[in-house]
Amino acid sequence: MNIREIELPGIGKKYEIITKSADKIVIIIHDDGRREIYYFDQEDYEEAIASTTFDDSEARKIAAIIGGMTYAPKALETIEMAFDDLVIEWSKVEPGALAVNQTIGNLNIRQSYEVNIVAIIKRNHQKIHTPGPETILEVGDTVIVSGQRNQVKKIVKEILSRRDG
Amino acid sequence: MTNHLVFEVGTALILVALAALLAGRLKFSIIPFLILLGMVVGPHAPHFGIIDLRFIGSSEIIEFFGRIGVLFLLFYLGLEFSVGKLIRSGPSIVIGGSIYVALNFILGLVYGFAVGFPVMETFIIAGLLSVSSSAIVAKVLVDLKRTANTETELILGIVLFDDIFLAIFLSIMSGLLLGESTTILGTITSVLISLGYMILFFIIARKGAPILNKLLNIKSNEIFILVIFASLFFVAGFSEKLHVAEAIGALLLGLVFSETEHRERIEHLVIPFRDFFGALFFFSFGLSIDPFSLGGAVWLALGAVVLTIISNFVAGMISGRKAGLSHKASSNIGLTIVSRGEFSIIVANLGLAGGLMPILKPFTAVYVLILAILGPFLTKESKNIYQLLNKIFKWENKGNLKKQSTSILKNQSEEKNSHGM
Repeated sequence: MNIREIELPGIGKKYEIITKSADKIVIIIHDDGRREIYYFDQEDYEEAIASTTFDDSEARKIAAIIGGMTYAPKALETIEMAFDDLVIEWSKVEPGALAVNQTIGNLNIRQSYEVNIVAIIKRNHQKIHTPGPETILEVGDTVIVSGQRNQVKKIVKEILSRRDG
Repeated sequence: MTNHLVFEVGTALILVALAALLAGRLKFSIIPFLILLGMVVGPHAPHFGIIDLRFIGSSEIIEFFGRIGVLFLLFYLGLEFSVGKLIRSGPSIVIGGSIYVALNFILGLVYGFAVGFPVMETFIIAGLLSVSSSAIVAKVLVDLKRTANTETELILGIVLFDDIFLAIFLSIMSGLLLGESTTILGTITSVLISLGYMILFFIIARKGAPILNKLLNIKSNEIFILVIFASLFFVAGFSEKLHVAEAIGALLLGLVFSETEHRERIEHLVIPFRDFFGALFFFSFGLSIDPFSLGGAVWLALGAVVLTIISNFVAGMISGRKAGLSHKASSNIGLTIVSRGEFSIIVANLGLAGGLMPILKPFTAVYVLILAILGPFLTKESKNIYQLLNKIFKWENKGNLKKQSTSILKNQSEEKNSHGM
């Protein structure tokens, strides 16, 4: 991402942005508070092919949306944190998964997969830390699993995700 | 007569407002409309009953409003202007601006001598041919949605440079024309005085900002506006006493205030006054022109128009190519800066105030009228003009104008989503 800021005397400020995907976008902030966004032709950086204008309050609202301030983007179904090969993953129990209405003990998770279930967030946002083997997994629970990357992947695929067919 | 004064001014304002509405409806700059309106009414116009379109009783006050308009126009120009802006805008603007001013000014001098004007008149003509209309250029760029284009930075930079030229030119000329000396030495002295006056203001702008920041730290808007306007009118009037045009005084004061932290507050304050009195300035300029006296000046002005279009295009081409823009973007530069308006009139008025040949007035009127209408039109049609000229000069085939930097980025990019617009 490449951003240039340029002064336009008598008009306002101009920001020229070239994104990773080689899109050229120009944002003009007029002295009178209006904002304009231009999108340029990918093949010809001199031809603006689309533009739109916002007034000050519209611009602020849209900026908040894009910046994720008013509407936090729904996190991807799985958030990963990696420490080399050790990962922690958040994963939902999907309807029709093997784990539905089973206890952690029954599923024999620790032995079969060599992973730990660190915590469970129930659908009513109740949090269970370090659940014991008697804890029952239900549809919609978010299970936080830690372990080796390939093992965590495996458990998510085999037990927590919906089985096809 | 005085008891009808408000009614006469009111009538004039109604006409001005209608002309402005019409200009807005047609998406034109209001400048040519107001000049034309002023030319149509005036001493030769009919009068029916209470509606008197001759504006005899009120012409003086309208002219005074116009003078105030000039003060506000130039005061605002000074506010907008800052040395820092120019330094930040980089070397290609200095190069482009110098080429632009030099080419226009020299061709203006050649033209003035060629058609047989005396020296001073020639200087004034060269000056008014060289100053483009900041107001029209900025408006056209915004209206045509060209603010995002690459060449726009250069265009606005050249206009800024052009404004500096205007300031220096007006100072020197007002020293030459308004000084009362007849000897060479006296003339040189008065030019030096006006240049020294300018430098004094530059120093105040640079060094006096902290003190001014304190002095202008006024909470009440009412008191603030009184202080600002008092200094504006006093400094402008005082400059006139030193034989420096009052317009220059206003510009220099604007420059001083532009370096303070109150710049924006003053700007917001001044804009409505600038718009109102500025409109009256164009109207009163038209009012002072007898449409039946234009005859002698039309051909002269037409010649100047052709010259200006050519020199603007060439200067724009050179500075654009020097700054590394494509031929197409470069062709936009000259075709945008070609608009002429308020500043050309101000230069001409200075010449007239200095007692130069009266033909300057109709000449400037026709010249500005044509280029205030034709300029924005050329800007709008720049693409077609470029394509036409490209057929002749063969600058480039329908080439791929992409910058290399993007291809590198492109390689990293994943497949693009189609963008729904």
